Amino acid sequence: MSTPSAAREQALVTTFVRLADTLVADYDVIELFHGLCGDCVSLLGVDAAGLLLTDQRGNLQVVSASTEAANLVELFQLQAEEGPCLDCFRTSAQVHAGDLAADTRWPRFAALADDNGFTAVHALPMRLRGETIGALNLFHRSRTDMSVDELAIGQALADVATIAILSDRNTRERERLTEQLQAALTSRVIIEQAKGVLAERGQIPLDEAFSRLRAHARSTQQRLSDLARAVTDGSFDTAPLLR
Amino acid sequence: MGGGCEVDQARLSQALVDAVAVGGSEAALAVCRACVEWLPMTGASITMMTVAEVQEPVCATDAVSARIDELQFGLGDGPCVESFRTGRAVLVPDIADPSETRWPVFATAAAATGARGMFVFPLQVGGARIGVLDCYRDAPGPLDDEDLTGALRTADAAVWSLLDRTHPGDGRFGPAGALDGSALVRAEVHQATGMLMAQAGLDAPSALARLRAYSFSAGRTITEVADDVVARRLRLHPDGVWSDAATGNPSYGDTPSDDPVDSPSRDDEENPS
Repeated sequence: MSTPSAAREQALVTTFVRLADTLVADYDVIELFHGLCGDCVSLLGVDAAGLLLTDQRGNLQVVSASTEAANLVELFQLQAEEGPCLDCFRTSAQVHAGDLAADTRWPRFAALADDNGFTAVHALPMRLRGETIGALNLFHRSRTDMSVDELAIGQALADVATIAILSDRNTRERERLTEQLQAALTSRVIIEQAKGVLAERGQIPLDEAFSRLRAHARSTQQRLSDLARAVTDGSFDTAPLLR
Repeated sequence: MGGGCEVDQARLSQALVDAVAVGGSEAALAVCRACVEWLPMTGASITMMTVAEVQEPVCATDAVSARIDELQFGLGDGPCVESFRTGRAVLVPDIADPSETRWPVFATAAAATGARGMFVFPLQVGGARIGVLDCYRDAPGPLDDEDLTGALRTADAAVWSLLDRTHPGDGRFGPAGALDGSALVRAEVHQATGMLMAQAGLDAPSALARLRAYSFSAGRTITEVADDVVARRLRLHPDGVWSDAATGNPSYGDTPSDDPVDSPSRDDEENPS
């Protein structure tokens, strides 16, 4: 017999064992981010999750989300200008808004969140010693104050994302960080281009294009970004993905 | 770091916009000059990658910059060659540091040039590599956050300057904001690039160049035009003609020859004919 908390404990163990296995292997950072956003949904009961990274040009960019639905991506993206994620990134501290309707901090963001049926949002920083490189954004469809335990798990997932960026034992850490951040952002650009190519060829929505891309990468055991690159440079025949 | 000078990001951004607006073959050099003027860099150069993945020097602000590139591509070794090959940024705080062992062949040759810090940024449109921006300075030390932000913005502007060089438009320029790299952070710009690639059978740089040229001729931002492409209101045909799904009519093209009866302004499109 397992109680709800025992069940969650089991799910937590499974998740972190899988993450540890991934981190010691040759992984695709975007794919790992995507899995982390899914973990937030399943472990923390949030309704949507997204990861934003600094592009080191003064913007936050969405690199992964639990859904690629355009309206949700827009909600994440708006936070490049205003919202809990930006505040979290700038202050390097968690930002909580358990009831957006009663919150006056981000009028444009709150209005767009409300349009999409979200009423609570939490943002957790991705910190690396003295540096903040992004934020994990968690959305709820009902007023929610996340518990201390839930926030600790969420922060651990954000920390895994940070470690994933700085994968290796390199002494040139500062330089390495820039190289990795820029590479992750480039991977995301290639994935967006590949989504566009597939959406056009198959006359399917962009989020559906992403699902098929990811499913094919999984079933053929290749990296999502490698497959996306092959789609954009024409070396991959997209017909099987569009049937 | 960086000589203790604060980087004036606003001035740099304006200088980059002005540099890209120069257009044609002069724009790339203007971008490099803006980089040297507003960032703590001694020199900067741009090398273009041709279709056959062969490098072609485009411009350099000074003889040392040109020499550094020449040495690296001659030896087939060095941070610039590595960035060119991998498409990744390569940041070297001090090429003369004995613990810097990544490029043994080039390091010896580099010592004679006086260059110490070397910072190379790939110029790419997604996975398509079009060149590198190579910056150096004569003092050792890493880039601080401000230097890095400025250098990345310079690299974005350099992408536009190379697209103009390889995909010349009709010389009309649109909103100034579209000339810096800011459109490159928007997901829909890349999604639209992918859709144009599929619609017209283009590679990524050509598709982005067409998107940009169209936005200029229409007097709109790249992001606005990308939204129309993603929403399937606007498409590019393989013969290079744009069409607007809302009107069903061929839209005005981004080159004069595209559409002999092109509408002079967007307002006309919105009026029933």
